[in-house]
Amino acid sequence: MGEAIHNVIIGNGSAGNGAAATLRERDPDCRITIITMGSLPFYNRYDLPRVFRGCYDWREILVHPLSYYDDQNITLRRNSRVTDVDGRKRTITFAHNETMHYDRLLVCAGGQGYLPEELSDYRGLMNGFNSFEAAITTYKALPAGGSMIMLGGDMIGLDLARTLIDTGYKVLLLTNEYTFWPHRIADDEREGFINALKHMGIEVIDGVHPVAVEEGIAGKPARRVVLDGGGEILGDVVMPSYGLVPTAEFMLGSGVDIERGMLVDPMLHTTDENIWAAGDVCQIWSAEDNTYRFYYGWNNVRLMGEVAARNVTGANETFKGLDDERLRIDKNGHLASPFWEY
Amino acid sequence: MNRKGTDIQFAIIGSAGDGTIAAGDILKRAMARLGYKVIAFDIYPAEIRGFGKCISRVRITTEQAYSLKRHSDVLISLDDSYAIPHVGEVRDYGAVIYESSPVARLAEGGHITAHIKPSQLPYGVQVRGISERATASARSRNIVVLGYLAGLYGIDPKAFREIIAAKFRTKAQAVTDQNTAAFDAGFETGKAVFKLDDIVLGPPLHNKEAEKTTMMTGNGAVVRGCIDAGLDTFFGYPITPATTILERLAAELPKHGGRVLQTEDEISAIAATIGAGYAGARSATATSGPGLALMAEMLGLSVMGEVPSVVFVSQRGGPSTGLPTKTEQSDLNLAVFGGAGDAQRIVLAPTNVDGCYRTAGKAFEMAEQYQTPVVVLLDLYLSNRYETVVLPDKNPFSRNLDKQMADGGAGYMRFADSDDHISPRAIPGQEGGMHTVTGLEHNQLGKPSDLPENHEAMNAKRHLKLEAALRHPDFTICKRFGDEGPVDVGVLGWGSTFGEILEAMFAAQDEGIRCSAMKVVMLSPLPKDQIAAFMDDCGTVLLPELNYEGQLANLVSGALGRPVTKLTRSTGSPMQVEEILAEIRRLAQARAA
Amino acid sequence: MTEPLKPVYLEDKLNEVRGDGHLSYRSSSLPTWCPGCGYFSVAEGVAMAFNRLKVPSKDAVIVSGIGCASRFPFFMETYGFHTLHGRTLPVATGVKVANDKLTVVAVGGDGDAFAIGGGHIPHAARRNVDITYLVFDNGIYGLTKGQTSPTSVQGFVTPSTPYESHDRPLNPLMMLLSYGASWVGQAYAGQPHHLTDMIAGAIAHRGFSYLHILSPCVTFDKTEMTYANLNVRVRDLPADHDPTDRMAALEQATRTGTPALGLFYREDRPTLADGMADIAMRATAGIPAKGKKARG
Repeated sequence: MGEAIHNVIIGNGSAGNGAAATLRERDPDCRITIITMGSLPFYNRYDLPRVFRGCYDWREILVHPLSYYDDQNITLRRNSRVTDVDGRKRTITFAHNETMHYDRLLVCAGGQGYLPEELSDYRGLMNGFNSFEAAITTYKALPAGGSMIMLGGDMIGLDLARTLIDTGYKVLLLTNEYTFWPHRIADDEREGFINALKHMGIEVIDGVHPVAVEEGIAGKPARRVVLDGGGEILGDVVMPSYGLVPTAEFMLGSGVDIERGMLVDPMLHTTDENIWAAGDVCQIWSAEDNTYRFYYGWNNVRLMGEVAARNVTGANETFKGLDDERLRIDKNGHLASPFWEY
Repeated sequence: MNRKGTDIQFAIIGSAGDGTIAAGDILKRAMARLGYKVIAFDIYPAEIRGFGKCISRVRITTEQAYSLKRHSDVLISLDDSYAIPHVGEVRDYGAVIYESSPVARLAEGGHITAHIKPSQLPYGVQVRGISERATASARSRNIVVLGYLAGLYGIDPKAFREIIAAKFRTKAQAVTDQNTAAFDAGFETGKAVFKLDDIVLGPPLHNKEAEKTTMMTGNGAVVRGCIDAGLDTFFGYPITPATTILERLAAELPKHGGRVLQTEDEISAIAATIGAGYAGARSATATSGPGLALMAEMLGLSVMGEVPSVVFVSQRGGPSTGLPTKTEQSDLNLAVFGGAGDAQRIVLAPTNVDGCYRTAGKAFEMAEQYQTPVVVLLDLYLSNRYETVVLPDKNPFSRNLDKQMADGGAGYMRFADSDDHISPRAIPGQEGGMHTVTGLEHNQLGKPSDLPENHEAMNAKRHLKLEAALRHPDFTICKRFGDEGPVDVGVLGWGSTFGEILEAMFAAQDEGIRCSAMKVVMLSPLPKDQIAAFMDDCGTVLLPELNYEGQLANLVSGALGRPVTKLTRSTGSPMQVEEILAEIRRLAQARAA
Repeated sequence: MTEPLKPVYLEDKLNEVRGDGHLSYRSSSLPTWCPGCGYFSVAEGVAMAFNRLKVPSKDAVIVSGIGCASRFPFFMETYGFHTLHGRTLPVATGVKVANDKLTVVAVGGDGDAFAIGGGHIPHAARRNVDITYLVFDNGIYGLTKGQTSPTSVQGFVTPSTPYESHDRPLNPLMMLLSYGASWVGQAYAGQPHHLTDMIAGAIAHRGFSYLHILSPCVTFDKTEMTYANLNVRVRDLPADHDPTDRMAALEQATRTGTPALGLFYREDRPTLADGMADIAMRATAGIPAKGKKARG
């Protein structure tokens, strides 16, 4: 009896879990292992703003019941950071000094929030929102009716902003070229979209450039953003919102091609015959655009995971992203985006 | 089966060289100092030398608990190879804390993260790194992990620092400083961690008792009871798991004016104990089943000669050499009946550590008052289990209870019979009290006699005098817990198993079953009236005990002529609360049907 | 050559001893030993030794095991403990540890001492517990009617060894000397005055005293350890024997064909009570254990 094929998925987000479910459906006997740096079972990251609507227990945001992993015979390896992948030997090395062998590897490691170099010193004073822990920490840092200073305002950040407005907080948005990321906005459209933001209740501050983040003085709000040329903005929490960069560094040296993200063909296959990639981590060749491009949003990443999984198990499917990726203004004058559907 | 309020059980697992037991020791003492109630039990490696698995389990509660839980809330791994098989012991939403940067290269599955279940919360800590940065060595990993625990769960670090200082006070100051630095470094790390589990430490309920609270094992409590009861002489022979009684008394008793001698075997130990009792001293020995078997002949001499003696027996797996490091309750038959002839003696069995203290002291009162041997039964689990106890302010034990010879001289009758069947006793050194004690049957003067009426009369005297023990003052010979009046299921029990029985009874009550439990502390003479009254109230009676034959069940059924349902286990480990509860449910359902 | 012994009658004895006072140590129970048994001399010897040493009756405890010798305590007007076969010494040790002011004399026969009790002797000796051990050696099991014992001669024909016994007899004196007993002597029931002196010396010695008493069993041994044989074979220890010379004592003990009577060996060293007093002092003063002592 031959040993079952070991399919390893790096990443516990929507792409990785979509892939796992599809793999299990198509190959009931294979071994499936999901690897994540996180500490929790699968939850939908796009859903985290629920933290501001009374959801404080991670058990309430899980996508699957805990019995899912046993029922589906999927192994979940948490707190496990991959430090090295060897494409030839087909081994993965963890930071905790364990080696794992794979037959097929799907990299769905997603992306992390980008922070410009000039602000990297102040990372410790800013709040993220890319994990349950970060979300709860942010929630606790905001006093009732408190204010968040958002730098940039990508669609993930703006999604959070609208929940914050809705639950009685204030949002001060310092715009820059990442505002509305990943949408590409034409100059003449910009004013309209900015007005939509204002219409949603967001206080928009244009044309300023933050150079530092400091702790506020006693009696004042907890954070102080220092602007270029003097001037300051005070708020309780500062959140960078500059779009995502793929989490692909650990794949360096594995043998696959990497640009900003992992480069894959339209079937999500990397240059290594046993490695695929899906989700925010990969750039897919687009013959149309004659370049490698990203696809974002819950619908896209989930679908990518499923397509990759089908291709791992013998299919030859081409990934096709959303038809319409445009940013719009709805009938209420509010922003609307396909990336907000989840 | 959680108690109300705080109820958290920690399990620290590592190899013998990791300081696993020391970590558990500091943890339980710190928690006791903070005012929590603590039950703790350590498992040591089977071999004496070097390596091997150690587990230290510590359960802390605000309400009194009576046993360890089957599922721990937090598992701390100091060595994954030993901890991995125990990951299943952690409950859902409990925590597993482990080294995140082990030194050795591991094959797939060699790290504990491969085994943590999705419902459990993993906490990776760079324990070795923190230890090296704080103390320039990896030796303090166990202390780092304690600091991390305190930081993670918001436990006041002051108590830990005090216990660490006390623990290392005989070593150089640098050692204490190093360990404190390791603790503090772990504490800062733990404090900064985002807590994902649902383990919450509430404040202790009875803070004012914290000063009077002390932590003891069953054997330690026996030692304390002996000293408080004025033990004069102790003779012992090493045998697992009673050896620590000999060793602790050897160190402590001379400070209180007593004398300890390690003898050449168990027969010599009990013989010297009886010789000292004859000479008027409060005297005792301690052993386990195999030693008690050797002592059986001598116990008969103590009975026949009406000489006081006390034997502490910590039961272990039998028969014969058996399982020296496993717990069992299979020496009841030997304790009650062992020895030639109709040689009844007093047999007592405490159910918890506080009971060990009380029963130990009272044993000397009874031996002296009823001029008889008293066998006190513990078991390996109770002997080695730590519990927080509050010792009484005043010494609760009485001295000089023996009926002394009033007027002696020629014709003094050492074995004179009377209403209470207890004869006035002369002690060597007393004028006018000269007599010879013999193992032969004898008349009231103590002279050997094989006359028929004499033997019957003397047998009666020796048996009837013990009935007063059933009314011995300030001593609980049996006690009922739980629902009053008629109940569906009653549970009888003895020894440490009664802890698990109580917890099962509480759980059964929570499920709506009318349930009551009775502990039997005096096993000989048996409190027949009280047990019968209890059984009258019970629709059916369950008797769980850790032996194969159902020794107490047989004893009770034989004495009362009434059946009980046995629940016997001889696995070498304490019974599980869940096993007893399942049986209670089954009996309750059978009754309903 | 000494005179043959005459039978001893109670009335004569009573007259002889009435003035002496040692009779107060004898109880009203008359011994149940066979007439001519050597144990009568021992009983007298112990009573006279107590009297000579002025040991109060109430402070004397006689501990015995099982056997003919073990009836001893009943015949004495002191405290007594008739214990179990072979367990005399540990019981006696317990009595002494409980109350060091008591004078404790342990008695037993050769079977009680060297068969079942053999394992306890070296430990009493090495503890140097301050008791006196009198072993009445008649080379036979009298109470159970004549079986062979650890000191019986090889080839002995008895009910349990009808084809002659195979085992070689032990040498109790060599054993006690090598166990490190601090007082070792031998006496003979056929020389009652010397016996009494030896008993007195043994009791007076501060430490574990062992007195081996050759004592014929007139009922069951008609051939080996008889008065006739022993009267010829026994001798005194050489006049120049140095009782502090253990090797010389051992050498004397090897000569089993001609048992020597007298004090073989004596030394003075701390008793068990001394050791326990020292422990109590160091325990209460918080003095940790001393460095390792030299071996042996």
